[in-house]
Amino acid sequence: MRTRTSSLLLMLPALVLLATVFLYPLLRYGWLSLQASSVLTGLLPVPNGGANWLRLLDDARFWTDAGQTLRFALCSVALELVGGLALALLLHRPLRGRGPLRALTLLPWALPTTVMALGWRWILNDPHGPINGAIRSLGGTSYGFLSTPATTWFFVVLADVWKTMPFVALLLLAGLQTIPADLEEALRLEGASRVQILRRLTLPLLLPYLSLALLFRLAQSLGVFDLIQVLSGGGPAGTTESLALYAYLNAMRFLDFGYASTVMLATFLLLVVALGGGWLLLRRGGIARATERPA
Amino acid sequence: MAARPFFTSLRRQPVVVGLLVVLLLVLLPAFGLKGIQAIAAEPVPIRVLMPAPLADAVAGPVARFNASGSGVAVQVIRGPLDTETISDLAISSLLLGEAPFDLLLVDVSWLAKYVAAGWFLPLERWFGPEILAAMEPGARLGNGLGDHLWRMPLTGDTGLLYWRSDLMDRPPRDTAELVAISRDLQRRGRVRWGYLWQGRQYEGLSCVMVEMLQAFGARWWDDATATTVLDSPGAVAAASWLDALLRDGVSPKAVANFAENDALQSFAAGEAAFLRNWPYAWREIEKGEGPVTGKVGVTTMVGAPGEQGGGTLGTWGLSLIKGSPHPEEAVAVIRWLTGPVVQRQLALEQGYAPTWSRLYDDPELQRRAPLLAVQRQALQHPQLRPLTPAYAQLSDLLARQVNGMLTGQDGPGQTMATAQRQSQQVLRSVAGTPDRAPRIP
Repeated sequence: MRTRTSSLLLMLPALVLLATVFLYPLLRYGWLSLQASSVLTGLLPVPNGGANWLRLLDDARFWTDAGQTLRFALCSVALELVGGLALALLLHRPLRGRGPLRALTLLPWALPTTVMALGWRWILNDPHGPINGAIRSLGGTSYGFLSTPATTWFFVVLADVWKTMPFVALLLLAGLQTIPADLEEALRLEGASRVQILRRLTLPLLLPYLSLALLFRLAQSLGVFDLIQVLSGGGPAGTTESLALYAYLNAMRFLDFGYASTVMLATFLLLVVALGGGWLLLRRGGIARATERPA
Repeated sequence: MAARPFFTSLRRQPVVVGLLVVLLLVLLPAFGLKGIQAIAAEPVPIRVLMPAPLADAVAGPVARFNASGSGVAVQVIRGPLDTETISDLAISSLLLGEAPFDLLLVDVSWLAKYVAAGWFLPLERWFGPEILAAMEPGARLGNGLGDHLWRMPLTGDTGLLYWRSDLMDRPPRDTAELVAISRDLQRRGRVRWGYLWQGRQYEGLSCVMVEMLQAFGARWWDDATATTVLDSPGAVAAASWLDALLRDGVSPKAVANFAENDALQSFAAGEAAFLRNWPYAWREIEKGEGPVTGKVGVTTMVGAPGEQGGGTLGTWGLSLIKGSPHPEEAVAVIRWLTGPVVQRQLALEQGYAPTWSRLYDDPELQRRAPLLAVQRQALQHPQLRPLTPAYAQLSDLLARQVNGMLTGQDGPGQTMATAQRQSQQVLRSVAGTPDRAPRIP
């Protein structure tokens, strides 16, 4: 009994913090999502009988954005995992100048997203950016990279991969360093090839780190906002708009706070479902069991 | 942690101390200067936020105004070029409570939202009905809401129909003629496409829809009931007409991805017989040595046979921000910036349609601004986009649905039924009930 009370007491600060910064806003969004609160109501909440949720179900823009957000998250996280793994393997090898190299690799991750996105926007600018400058000096005509949906989407993913791959690499590098070197040596003495070592030893032991990186990055990229807001503004014609950006626009452009809350809460629910689904899939694949093993 | 070691350590940091001294040297005069300015009764600064092209267009007159010694110094803030981006910028500062500008150049499609948010001061105290009476009928629209005047118009632009004078003797009188002439020219191989317009999923498509709804005797918005009426037979006919343009090859399928400039460039390259665009397109066509330079006529938007056509109103005007520390001086700037002198210059140099009737009778202007007669005609029956604070959401969903129709998702009937249903849902969600008329203060 005493231990239960004291453990509860010890947990109290954390619980209070969670309740104020997480539970309270969530409940507030839930309440606001049942109200009309816009310039038409003088920004005062007026109950509208669930009209926001009915609107959401029929809102083509919301579902289009949901699909776009999911596609963005899956593509960029997959690329980040593959690229991050390759980078981690490279940085794990005894190279000359490995220390500075590791620090350099982290540079994109250390840049604020807004600064990085502005950089990309300048690089892709039509006609003043360096890429278009190069195209013109080769005799071509400038190309509107950010006014074509396909190229805009490609560069949004590329910018995200470029920025967050170092994070994944660092996480996996930490994992690689927990793998005892003598295991690899033993395998090599048995005549295992590099690919075999990677498949039979490195990847299985790295799984907890891989799944951690996957969940971290998935949660972040499903909520992507700043990169898209600065790089493409969700354009052209909304083809790169994410759910978080749509929620923001409902509040800041349409001045419709009731529906903005609805979109935000729905995004959160979708995120829980997506992450929960991902987690279940991982468990089935036996990866979760691996995470439970002390590293 | 004590102060002493800190200061002793500072002594060992000549760089930090040096930086602090430099900072002080920079900051002191800056603050000191402000104080001196206040004492010397400097002119009252009035800041105006405008999109960059219009800011550049008024730069000359503003410089002359500031040199005239009126006791007011106009500072034009060059905002972003894109209409939506500049509105976002304005809203973010207005939401914070203290906007860094006294006047805002307002697009006609934002007005209702800003008014409902309570960000503007009414202007009728300074600009009575006799002042608006001196403007063309269309220029008076989209400035008043409720019982108040919220905006003084600076430009009177409307959507126009461009036609090739080398391919036909006179412009089409209605939508049926437009299609007939197009198909005849296409059949004879004189031109690749008939009609180019804006079909991309954006505000431009909503402007096209406003014109087509009018052309087929339908409406988007019913002011009396403050709700949308997009599923009327006329509205479906309007959507069907646009859909048929693509299916019959009068317009290219690429129109579904055309904004103003895409359509203009294709037309200027001689690929089509007709173009829907704003007045600025005329200068773009005429300034170059393109294949259609000197072979283009301009007319007002056509309607279906027996119906009155009308172009969408796309006007800019100045509004006074509530909380401006100098409302009287700001109104003086509105009076002058929207006055005939500046509008005359905008018409001459940029081709913007004036709002004052007497400028249309100015012989020199008539000679040097060839579009003037058509622009005046267009201002007799222009079409206003719905004046509701929820316009941005309604426009977004209509453009999305119609663009879906153009790319083959749904037929016209289904498209307009969905747009109507979604509009009702938006209004119920935004206003509480769909029937409650929006309260405009």
